[in-house]
Amino acid sequence: MDFKRGEEIVFTFDGKPVSAFEGETVAVALYAANVRKLATSHDKHRARGIYCAIGNCASCMMIVDGTPNVKTCVEPVRAGMVVESQPDKGKLT
Amino acid sequence: MLERSGIPEQAQIDCVFPAEERLEKGPVAVIECFEKIPCNPCAQSCPKSAILPFVDINDRPVIDDELCVGCNACIKKCPGLAIMVVEYSGEKALIKLPHEFKPLPEKGQIVNALNRAGEPVSDAEVVRVIAGKVSVVSIAVDRHLIKTVRGFSFKEKPEIPEKNMGNLELNNTNELDGIVCRCNDLTLGDIRKMISDGYTTIDELKQLARVGMGPCQGRSCIPIILGELSRYLETPIKDLLPTNFRPVVTSVKLSDLAEHDEERTSV
Repeated sequence: MDFKRGEEIVFTFDGKPVSAFEGETVAVALYAANVRKLATSHDKHRARGIYCAIGNCASCMMIVDGTPNVKTCVEPVRAGMVVESQPDKGKLT
Repeated sequence: MLERSGIPEQAQIDCVFPAEERLEKGPVAVIECFEKIPCNPCAQSCPKSAILPFVDINDRPVIDDELCVGCNACIKKCPGLAIMVVEYSGEKALIKLPHEFKPLPEKGQIVNALNRAGEPVSDAEVVRVIAGKVSVVSIAVDRHLIKTVRGFSFKEKPEIPEKNMGNLELNNTNELDGIVCRCNDLTLGDIRKMISDGYTTIDELKQLARVGMGPCQGRSCIPIILGELSRYLETPIKDLLPTNFRPVVTSVKLSDLAEHDEERTSV
Protein backbone atom coordinates (compact mmCIF):
# COMPACT_ATOMS: atom_id res chain seq x y z
CA MET A 1 0.00 0.00 0.00
CA ASP A 2 1.10 3.49 -0.71
CA PHE A 3 0.67 6.09 2.01
CA LYS A 4 1.09 9.69 0.96
CA ARG A 5 2.24 11.90 3.80
CA GLY A 6 1.13 15.50 3.98
CA GLU A 7 3.42 18.43 4.62
CA GLU A 8 5.49 18.47 7.78
CA ILE A 9 4.05 20.79 10.41
CA VAL A 10 4.79 21.64 14.05
CA PHE A 11 2.41 21.73 17.01
CA THR A 12 3.07 21.94 20.73
CA PHE A 13 2.46 19.24 23.32
CA ASP A 14 2.71 20.38 26.94
CA GLY A 15 4.85 23.32 25.83
CA LYS A 16 7.28 21.29 23.71
CA PRO A 17 7.31 21.43 19.91
CA VAL A 18 6.35 18.20 18.15
CA SER A 19 6.58 17.66 14.41
CA ALA A 20 3.84 15.87 12.54
CA PHE A 21 2.48 15.36 9.03
CA GLU A 22 -0.72 16.90 7.80
CA GLY A 23 -3.50 14.36 7.62
CA GLU A 24 -2.45 12.62 10.83
CA THR A 25 -4.51 12.75 13.97
CA VAL A 26 -3.14 14.28 17.15
CA ALA A 27 -2.89 10.91 18.90
CA VAL A 28 -1.02 9.35 16.00
CA ALA A 29 1.43 12.26 15.81
CA LEU A 30 2.11 11.94 19.53
CA TYR A 31 2.53 8.18 19.22
CA ALA A 32 5.07 8.73 16.46
CA ALA A 33 6.86 11.19 18.76
CA ASN A 34 7.07 8.42 21.39
CA VAL A 35 4.40 9.86 23.65
CA ARG A 36 2.49 6.86 25.05
CA LYS A 37 0.54 8.44 27.91
CA LEU A 38 -2.22 10.65 26.55
CA ALA A 39 -4.63 10.90 29.47
CA THR A 40 -5.00 10.00 33.15
CA SER A 41 -7.91 8.00 34.55
CA HIS A 42 -10.14 10.02 36.88
CA ASP A 43 -10.35 7.90 39.99
CA LYS A 44 -7.34 5.62 40.03
CA HIS A 45 -5.04 8.10 38.25
CA ARG A 46 -3.56 5.52 35.94
CA ALA A 47 -2.01 6.25 32.56
CA ARG A 48 -4.19 5.97 29.46
CA GLY A 49 -2.94 5.58 25.92
CA ILE A 50 -4.45 4.93 22.52
CA TYR A 51 -7.12 2.25 22.84
CA CYS A 52 -9.86 2.19 20.20
CA ALA A 53 -8.32 4.83 17.91
CA ILE A 54 -11.70 5.47 16.23
CA GLY A 55 -13.29 7.95 18.61
CA ASN A 56 -15.37 5.46 20.58
CA CYS A 57 -13.69 5.12 23.94
CA ALA A 58 -12.61 7.81 26.37
CA SER A 59 -8.94 6.99 26.54
CA CYS A 60 -7.29 9.74 24.54
CA MET A 61 -9.06 12.86 25.71
CA MET A 62 -6.78 15.89 25.90
CA ILE A 63 -6.99 19.66 25.98
CA VAL A 64 -6.69 21.00 22.43
CA ASP A 65 -6.44 24.76 21.94
CA GLY A 66 -8.01 25.22 25.39
CA THR A 67 -10.96 22.85 24.81
CA PRO A 68 -10.97 19.87 27.19
CA ASN A 69 -12.22 16.35 26.38
CA VAL A 70 -11.15 16.40 22.75
CA LYS A 71 -10.84 12.88 21.33
CA THR A 72 -7.34 13.23 19.97
CA CYS A 73 -7.47 9.94 18.05
CA VAL A 74 -9.94 11.49 15.61
CA GLU A 75 -8.80 15.12 15.81
CA PRO A 76 -6.68 16.10 12.78
CA VAL A 77 -3.41 17.76 13.68
CA ARG A 78 -2.89 21.35 12.52
CA ALA A 79 0.16 23.60 12.46
CA GLY A 80 0.47 25.64 15.64
CA MET A 81 -2.10 23.57 17.54
CA VAL A 82 -1.65 23.66 21.33
CA VAL A 83 -2.16 20.22 22.89
CA GLU A 84 -2.02 19.67 26.63
CA SER A 85 -2.39 16.62 28.88
CA GLN A 86 -5.66 16.58 30.76
CA PRO A 87 -5.18 15.51 34.39
CA ASP A 88 -8.89 15.46 35.32
CA LYS A 89 -12.38 15.33 33.84
CA GLY A 90 -11.79 18.70 32.18
CA LYS A 91 -12.81 22.17 33.26
CA LEU A 92 -14.86 24.73 31.38
CA THR A 93 -12.98 27.93 30.88
CA MET B 1 -34.82 27.28 44.76
CA LEU B 2 -34.91 24.49 42.21
CA GLU B 3 -31.41 25.13 40.86
CA ARG B 4 -29.87 24.79 44.31
CA SER B 5 -32.09 22.31 46.13
CA GLY B 6 -33.50 20.21 43.30
CA ILE B 7 -36.95 20.78 44.79
CA PRO B 8 -39.45 22.72 42.65
CA GLU B 9 -41.34 25.58 44.26
CA GLN B 10 -45.11 25.47 44.70
CA ALA B 11 -45.61 28.02 41.91
CA GLN B 12 -43.68 25.80 39.48
CA ILE B 13 -45.72 22.76 40.49
CA ASP B 14 -48.97 24.72 40.04
CA CYS B 15 -47.83 25.69 36.55
CA VAL B 16 -47.48 22.10 35.36
CA PHE B 17 -50.49 20.66 37.20
CA PRO B 18 -53.79 20.36 35.32
CA ALA B 19 -56.82 22.32 36.52
CA GLU B 20 -58.97 20.82 39.27
CA GLU B 21 -61.85 20.22 36.79
CA ARG B 22 -59.52 18.16 34.60
CA LEU B 23 -58.33 16.11 37.57
CA GLU B 24 -61.97 15.23 38.33
CA LYS B 25 -62.40 13.81 34.82
CA GLY B 26 -59.80 11.05 35.00
CA PRO B 27 -56.11 10.21 34.91
CA VAL B 28 -53.74 12.77 33.46
CA ALA B 29 -49.97 13.06 33.18
CA VAL B 30 -48.03 15.73 35.07
CA ILE B 31 -44.62 16.60 33.63
CA GLU B 32 -42.26 18.23 36.07
CA CYS B 33 -39.58 19.12 33.55
CA PHE B 34 -38.42 22.57 34.58
CA GLU B 35 -35.12 22.92 32.76
CA LYS B 36 -34.52 23.36 29.05
CA ILE B 37 -32.47 20.32 28.06
CA PRO B 38 -32.01 18.55 24.71
CA CYS B 39 -34.40 15.64 25.36
CA ASN B 40 -37.66 14.62 23.71
CA PRO B 41 -38.65 10.95 24.30
CA CYS B 42 -41.84 12.04 26.08
CA ALA B 43 -43.26 13.82 23.04
CA GLN B 44 -42.37 10.89 20.80
CA SER B 45 -43.82 8.29 23.16
CA CYS B 46 -47.31 9.78 23.46
CA PRO B 47 -49.82 7.67 21.46
CA LYS B 48 -52.40 10.51 21.63
CA SER B 49 -49.97 13.28 20.62
CA ALA B 50 -51.01 15.00 23.82
CA ILE B 51 -47.44 16.11 24.44
CA LEU B 52 -47.09 18.70 21.72
CA PRO B 53 -44.36 18.13 19.12
CA PHE B 54 -41.09 19.92 19.89
CA VAL B 55 -40.03 22.72 17.55
CA ASP B 56 -36.56 22.61 19.12
CA ILE B 57 -35.10 19.65 20.96
CA ASN B 58 -34.42 21.97 23.92
CA ASP B 59 -38.11 22.77 24.33
CA ARG B 60 -39.81 21.95 27.59
CA PRO B 61 -42.74 19.56 27.11
CA VAL B 62 -46.19 21.10 26.83
CA ILE B 63 -49.09 18.76 27.44
CA ASP B 64 -52.65 19.16 26.19
CA ASP B 65 -54.62 17.93 29.20
CA GLU B 66 -57.72 17.33 27.09
CA LEU B 67 -55.90 14.91 24.78
CA CYS B 68 -54.03 13.09 27.58
CA VAL B 69 -55.68 9.85 28.73
CA GLY B 70 -53.17 9.06 31.48
CA CYS B 71 -51.91 5.90 29.76
CA ASN B 72 -48.48 5.85 31.52
CA ALA B 73 -46.50 5.59 28.24
CA CYS B 74 -44.50 8.75 28.86
CA ILE B 75 -43.76 7.85 32.51
CA LYS B 76 -41.63 4.94 31.35
CA LYS B 77 -39.83 6.92 28.65
CA CYS B 78 -38.67 9.97 30.62
CA PRO B 79 -34.98 9.40 31.47
CA GLY B 80 -35.28 11.94 34.29
CA LEU B 81 -38.30 10.21 35.90
CA ALA B 82 -39.98 13.61 35.75
CA ILE B 83 -43.44 12.39 34.76
CA MET B 84 -46.21 10.95 36.90
CA VAL B 85 -49.90 10.32 36.30
CA VAL B 86 -52.47 11.47 38.85
CA GLU B 87 -56.19 10.89 39.24
CA TYR B 88 -58.90 11.13 41.87
CA SER B 89 -60.50 7.88 42.91
CA GLY B 90 -63.31 8.36 45.43
CA GLU B 91 -61.87 9.80 48.61
CA LYS B 92 -58.36 9.03 47.49
CA ALA B 93 -55.89 10.37 44.98
CA LEU B 94 -53.97 7.82 42.93
CA ILE B 95 -50.38 8.76 42.13
CA LYS B 96 -48.59 6.66 39.52
CA LEU B 97 -44.87 7.03 39.98
CA PRO B 98 -41.90 5.90 37.92
CA HIS B 99 -39.69 3.62 40.02
CA GLU B 100 -36.28 2.21 39.19
CA PHE B 101 -35.26 0.50 42.41
CA LYS B 102 -35.53 -3.10 43.42
CA PRO B 103 -37.19 -4.90 45.09
CA LEU B 104 -40.58 -3.59 43.97
CA PRO B 105 -43.32 -3.13 46.57
CA GLU B 106 -46.25 -5.58 46.64
CA LYS B 107 -49.82 -4.70 45.86
CA GLY B 108 -51.62 -3.84 49.10
CA GLN B 109 -48.40 -2.96 50.95
CA ILE B 110 -48.48 0.17 53.11
CA VAL B 111 -45.57 2.51 52.35
CA ASN B 112 -44.52 6.03 53.34
CA ALA B 113 -45.71 8.67 50.87
CA LEU B 114 -42.93 11.23 50.39
CA ASN B 115 -43.10 14.85 49.35
CA ARG B 116 -40.73 16.44 46.84
CA ALA B 117 -38.10 16.94 49.54
CA GLY B 118 -38.20 13.20 50.27
CA GLU B 119 -39.92 13.67 53.66
CA PRO B 120 -42.70 11.27 54.68
CA VAL B 121 -46.08 13.04 54.74
CA SER B 122 -48.53 10.17 55.20
CA ASP B 123 -49.11 6.46 54.73
CA ALA B 124 -50.01 5.22 51.28
CA GLU B 125 -51.36 1.94 49.95
CA VAL B 126 -49.74 0.40 46.89
CA VAL B 127 -52.65 -0.31 44.55
CA ARG B 128 -50.85 -1.45 41.43
CA VAL B 129 -47.33 -2.32 40.32
CA ILE B 130 -46.43 -2.54 36.64
CA ALA B 131 -42.94 -4.03 36.51
CA GLY B 132 -40.53 -2.98 33.79
CA LYS B 133 -37.22 -1.30 33.21
CA VAL B 134 -38.95 1.73 34.64
CA SER B 135 -41.70 0.28 36.80
CA VAL B 136 -44.87 2.22 37.47
CA VAL B 137 -46.05 2.06 41.07
CA SER B 138 -49.53 3.41 41.86
CA ILE B 139 -50.07 4.58 45.41
CA ALA B 140 -53.28 5.85 47.01
CA VAL B 141 -53.14 8.86 49.32
CA ASP B 142 -55.70 11.31 50.69
CA ARG B 143 -57.12 13.63 48.02
CA HIS B 144 -55.60 16.80 49.43
CA LEU B 145 -52.10 15.36 49.01
CA ILE B 146 -52.36 15.11 45.21
CA LYS B 147 -49.94 17.99 44.69
CA THR B 148 -47.69 17.04 47.60
CA VAL B 149 -46.75 13.39 47.12
CA ARG B 150 -44.00 12.62 44.62
CA GLY B 151 -42.44 9.40 45.90
CA PHE B 152 -42.61 6.60 48.41
CA SER B 153 -40.32 4.63 50.67
CA PHE B 154 -40.62 1.28 52.39
CA LYS B 155 -41.70 1.18 56.03
CA GLU B 156 -38.99 -1.37 56.73
CA LYS B 157 -35.78 -2.04 54.89
CA PRO B 158 -36.60 -4.76 52.36
CA GLU B 159 -34.72 -8.03 52.54
CA ILE B 160 -32.25 -8.59 49.76
CA PRO B 161 -31.76 -12.28 49.02
CA GLU B 162 -28.20 -13.51 49.40
CA LYS B 163 -26.48 -14.78 46.32
CA ASN B 164 -23.58 -17.14 46.08
CA MET B 165 -20.34 -16.11 44.43
CA GLY B 166 -20.94 -18.28 41.38
CA ASN B 167 -17.98 -18.48 39.08
CA LEU B 168 -16.47 -15.15 40.00
CA GLU B 169 -12.95 -15.10 41.24
CA LEU B 170 -12.09 -12.15 43.40
CA ASN B 171 -8.46 -13.03 44.16
CA ASN B 172 -6.56 -13.08 40.90
CA THR B 173 -5.15 -9.58 41.30
CA ASN B 174 -3.39 -9.16 37.96
CA GLU B 175 -6.54 -9.88 36.02
CA LEU B 176 -8.72 -7.86 38.37
CA ASP B 177 -6.70 -4.70 37.80
CA GLY B 178 -7.64 -4.79 34.14
CA ILE B 179 -9.75 -1.87 33.06
CA VAL B 180 -13.34 -2.57 31.99
CA CYS B 181 -15.07 0.80 32.01
CA ARG B 182 -12.64 3.38 30.66
CA CYS B 183 -15.01 6.31 31.04
CA ASN B 184 -15.75 5.84 34.72
CA ASP B 185 -12.50 4.11 35.65
CA LEU B 186 -13.78 0.73 36.81
CA THR B 187 -11.61 -2.38 36.86
CA LEU B 188 -12.71 -5.98 36.42
CA GLY B 189 -12.39 -6.29 40.20
CA ASP B 190 -14.80 -3.37 40.72
CA ILE B 191 -17.32 -4.89 38.33
CA ARG B 192 -17.11 -8.37 39.91
CA LYS B 193 -17.47 -6.88 43.39
CA MET B 194 -20.67 -5.11 42.36
CA ILE B 195 -22.06 -8.21 40.66
CA SER B 196 -21.34 -10.34 43.72
CA ASP B 197 -23.00 -7.65 45.87
CA GLY B 198 -26.20 -8.45 44.00
CA TYR B 199 -26.26 -5.91 41.19
CA THR B 200 -26.88 -8.39 38.43
CA THR B 201 -28.37 -6.38 35.57
CA ILE B 202 -26.81 -3.80 33.26
CA ASP B 203 -29.44 -1.31 34.39
CA GLU B 204 -28.54 -1.69 38.07
CA LEU B 205 -24.82 -1.36 37.36
CA LYS B 206 -25.60 1.72 35.31
CA GLN B 207 -27.44 3.35 38.17
CA LEU B 208 -24.80 2.33 40.69
CA ALA B 209 -21.59 3.06 38.86
CA ARG B 210 -22.56 4.85 35.63
CA VAL B 211 -21.24 2.06 33.40
CA GLY B 212 -22.22 2.78 29.83
CA MET B 213 -22.99 6.42 30.58
CA GLY B 214 -19.63 8.01 29.77
CA PRO B 215 -18.30 9.29 26.48
CA CYS B 216 -18.16 5.78 24.97
CA GLN B 217 -21.83 5.12 25.82
CA GLY B 218 -21.12 1.50 26.63
CA ARG B 219 -19.28 0.52 23.48
CA SER B 220 -16.14 -0.45 25.39
CA CYS B 221 -17.58 -1.82 28.62
CA ILE B 222 -21.05 -3.31 28.03
CA PRO B 223 -19.83 -6.38 26.05
CA ILE B 224 -17.29 -7.22 28.79
CA ILE B 225 -19.82 -6.71 31.58
CA LEU B 226 -22.38 -8.85 29.74
CA GLY B 227 -19.76 -11.61 29.62
CA GLU B 228 -19.18 -11.31 33.37
CA LEU B 229 -22.91 -11.34 34.13
CA SER B 230 -23.41 -14.31 31.84
CA ARG B 231 -20.71 -16.31 33.65
CA TYR B 232 -22.01 -15.35 37.07
CA LEU B 233 -25.69 -15.99 36.36
CA GLU B 234 -25.02 -18.92 34.04
CA THR B 235 -27.40 -17.31 31.56
CA PRO B 236 -26.76 -16.76 27.85
CA ILE B 237 -25.83 -13.20 26.92
CA LYS B 238 -28.83 -12.90 24.61
CA ASP B 239 -31.08 -13.09 27.69
CA LEU B 240 -29.12 -10.38 29.49
CA LEU B 241 -29.07 -7.64 26.88
CA PRO B 242 -29.78 -4.21 28.32
CA THR B 243 -33.24 -2.82 27.69
CA ASN B 244 -31.74 0.23 26.02
CA PHE B 245 -28.47 0.20 24.15
CA ARG B 246 -28.31 3.12 21.79
CA PRO B 247 -24.82 4.58 21.73
CA VAL B 248 -24.67 7.95 20.05
CA VAL B 249 -23.07 8.03 16.61
CA THR B 250 -20.83 10.90 17.58
CA SER B 251 -20.44 13.25 20.51
CA VAL B 252 -22.19 16.59 20.24
CA LYS B 253 -21.20 19.59 22.31
CA LEU B 254 -24.03 20.90 24.49
CA SER B 255 -22.99 24.40 23.43
CA ASP B 256 -23.85 23.53 19.81
CA LEU B 257 -27.36 22.52 20.84
CA ALA B 258 -27.78 25.56 23.09
CA GLU B 259 -26.56 27.89 20.35
CA HIS B 260 -29.24 26.59 18.02
CA ASP B 261 -31.87 27.36 20.62
CA GLU B 262 -30.64 30.94 21.18
CA GLU B 263 -30.93 31.65 17.48
CA ARG B 264 -34.54 30.64 17.50
CA THR B 265 -35.60 32.53 20.61
CA SER B 266 -33.77 35.73 19.70
CA VAL B 267 -35.76 36.14 16.46
